[in-house]
Amino acid sequence: MTGNLLEVVGVSMHFGGLTAVDEVSYKIGAGEVRGIIGPNGAGKTTLFNVITGEFKPSSGKIYLKGEDITGLAPDRICQKGMSRTFQLTYVFPEMTVYQCVWVGVYSKARRAGTLFFSRADHLKEAADKTMELCRLVGLEDKRDELASNLSYGDQKVLEIAMALSTDPALLLLDEPTQGVGPKEADSIVQLIELLSQRMSILLIEHNIDIILRVCHNLTVLSFGRVIADGSCEEIGRNEEVQRIYLGEITCS
Amino acid sequence: MNGLIWGLIIALIALGLSLIFGVMGIVNMAHGDLYMVGAVLAFYLFPLLGNFWLALLVVPLIIAVIAAPIERFVLRPYEGHHAVTMIATVGISFILQQAALATYGGIPKKMPDPWEVSFNLFGVSYPGYRFLIAGISIVILAAIWIFLYRTSYGVLIRASIQDQDMAAAMGIDVNKVLVGTFVLGSVLAAIGGVLAAPITQVFYLMGNDVALLAFIVVIIGGLGSLGGTLVAALSLCSLEGVLSAVLNPTQSKAAIFVVMIIILMIRPRGLFGEPEH
Amino acid sequence: MERKGMVTRFALVSLVVLAILGVVLPSGARSLVVQIMIFSIFAMGYDICLGYTNQCSLGHSMFFGAGAYGAILSVMSFKLGLIPALGVALLVGFLFSFLLGLICVRLSEAYFVIVTAIISAVFHLLAMDMTWLTGGDDGLSATIPPISQRISQLSLYNPYVNYYFVFFFLLMSYLVLTRMIGAPLGRIFISIRENPRRAHFLGYNVTRYKLVAFVLSGIFGALSGALYAMTLRYASADYFSFYWSVLPIVWCLIGGTGTLAGCWLGVALMSLFQYYVSAWFTHYLLLFGILILIILKVSRRGMLGYLTGRGTR
Repeated sequence: MTGNLLEVVGVSMHFGGLTAVDEVSYKIGAGEVRGIIGPNGAGKTTLFNVITGEFKPSSGKIYLKGEDITGLAPDRICQKGMSRTFQLTYVFPEMTVYQCVWVGVYSKARRAGTLFFSRADHLKEAADKTMELCRLVGLEDKRDELASNLSYGDQKVLEIAMALSTDPALLLLDEPTQGVGPKEADSIVQLIELLSQRMSILLIEHNIDIILRVCHNLTVLSFGRVIADGSCEEIGRNEEVQRIYLGEITCS
Repeated sequence: MNGLIWGLIIALIALGLSLIFGVMGIVNMAHGDLYMVGAVLAFYLFPLLGNFWLALLVVPLIIAVIAAPIERFVLRPYEGHHAVTMIATVGISFILQQAALATYGGIPKKMPDPWEVSFNLFGVSYPGYRFLIAGISIVILAAIWIFLYRTSYGVLIRASIQDQDMAAAMGIDVNKVLVGTFVLGSVLAAIGGVLAAPITQVFYLMGNDVALLAFIVVIIGGLGSLGGTLVAALSLCSLEGVLSAVLNPTQSKAAIFVVMIIILMIRPRGLFGEPEH
Repeated sequence: MERKGMVTRFALVSLVVLAILGVVLPSGARSLVVQIMIFSIFAMGYDICLGYTNQCSLGHSMFFGAGAYGAILSVMSFKLGLIPALGVALLVGFLFSFLLGLICVRLSEAYFVIVTAIISAVFHLLAMDMTWLTGGDDGLSATIPPISQRISQLSLYNPYVNYYFVFFFLLMSYLVLTRMIGAPLGRIFISIRENPRRAHFLGYNVTRYKLVAFVLSGIFGALSGALYAMTLRYASADYFSFYWSVLPIVWCLIGGTGTLAGCWLGVALMSLFQYYVSAWFTHYLLLFGILILIILKVSRRGMLGYLTGRGTR
């Protein structure tokens, strides 16, 4: 248990008669980038929902930095250092890019007594962190744009920035390049590579090239069960995985 | 006993409310006033038609004529914006109340007994009309149950309760279901009014108390759960009937209200409430 | 951004105008404006609930009535001075909204609306019933002590004093609430309004913040109820009626939800409407109902929202 950032042990999630997640276990260490792959409906997003606290798992345990976080509410888990993006962009439409990022930054960086009467924009620490994040993701010049006015690709990037704003040790990315053009996908991937140097990442992705480019290890899900777990090479050679996915996976 | 009779009437009204919410997502603040309109119409129609049964048939038709345009022109434009639609029903509530005040007047009036027979029940003389109410209510409730669970139209409505977008995707004409549901819900409230008219004072504000009770019932039973509504209606009204022997009407309502709060603290979605709409 | 600037300018101009009107207006119009100011406090508080955290409460008449009776009873039964009486009203408002909030805030949207409506309806019934405490429908009249015992001329019986007393509270309420909305609290509220689930995942206990918003709106509702009772020297169980729960929504819808001062426009228009229409048409509530429908048709987010291009949301 020590040395592992996140440990998921035997987690199952039943909804009525439907088993979305079935006895899933895996670990993530510090500085690791792990991909979660599998066909649609395999339970990947549900797994994210369970780990981040939206659902209490029907069985199993989740440990973050050695601490049992099973059943904790999402806001507590976020405070403990895990953050996520959502598959469909989930921003604050009537707030500007700057404000969207700021909300998350303040959540972690707040100082006592500033809640009710300090001018939000005058809080130096939060302002600096927010600007730094905007610069990191490349949305600096668009920081006063309303989130709802952004292009889809920019919203995807804003999604990531918002997840970063709470200073996570573990970042969960749910299909961050879905629906964006190749150039934007490439810059998102570069961002992920940059981020992987300072935090661990759990990544749901369908694009195998991207998976192979950034991930160290993979967990393969099918119908809610783990059917394979290991490094990219091992998975690439796994016959069952090849069967699940049409065609072969070749490691670069 | 009286409590049970009222329980059946409230069950009809609450059922209408629950249907409208379940299918349309609308909190119909004018529901009590539809009950009032039913009672007022019964008051006028009974001497006119000379026959209570005819009134029972004519009122739903009149209500349907009123309710359908309301749904089409007032409610449907705001579909999906539930808070706004609810405010619209508040506006309709005021309009209905004031229209009744203007035409019917502000004085509570009593309607003659449609069935002047009394029975001897356990040594107590009991007006036959109340049995009639019970009988008619039970028939209607059974009819609704058959309609919703045994006919194809009913399946359409229940499918729309589950998932409106899915229903539309499967080719169900959602607009027809919306109008139909709102009319059905309104008619249920109005029939409640017709049935209740002879046993209570017909008054332009009579909808308020009834609406309050119907809302409490729907909250306790769980919004969108039809069985829960029925159970809650019968139990609550029986409880109120029992309490009114010792407490005055306001206090018994307050007691029921406390019951509701307790239930809400334990189960925020009512006893049988559906998860996320 | 530009929208916010427009509302702020509107608010500042209004405040200046109101400051001047106190000495300029004839007495009939002046008392109407006093009412408008009192209701504007109510409306601003309600906007925190509806416009900033998306909680459509139908129960705010409870706080209005509670504040009114808190003040009147303090003056009548406890013989408190005017300022302490207002303090009691605020405390009562805080307690009511806190307790009510604990029950209601965690409920989902439709349940929240219905339960707040039920609770205020029941309190209305209780208030009508408990005539020994509330005077029921007939209500209670009281003589109001002067603002300060030492300076007896500073009494609300002097219409100018009354006007500027209320104006002072409007100004204070505006400054306090604007400051809060400009603080992190306001931004958190807006994030909860825009996407509560996302705010939750960003580390905020959404229910707790919704409770804060609810309590704030209850406190200001109670303040306005107290000022209303002090101005009229009268409180009745009628203050708990559903009408007083619906009015704040109408005010905010006309003026623009989520603008804080925009609702002053709604208050002004509705008060003028009520003043003139009810004079010649007894069934003025009928027009009120129709007016609601018309307002909703024009814009779901209120007129100021419409004018600044945010109408269609």
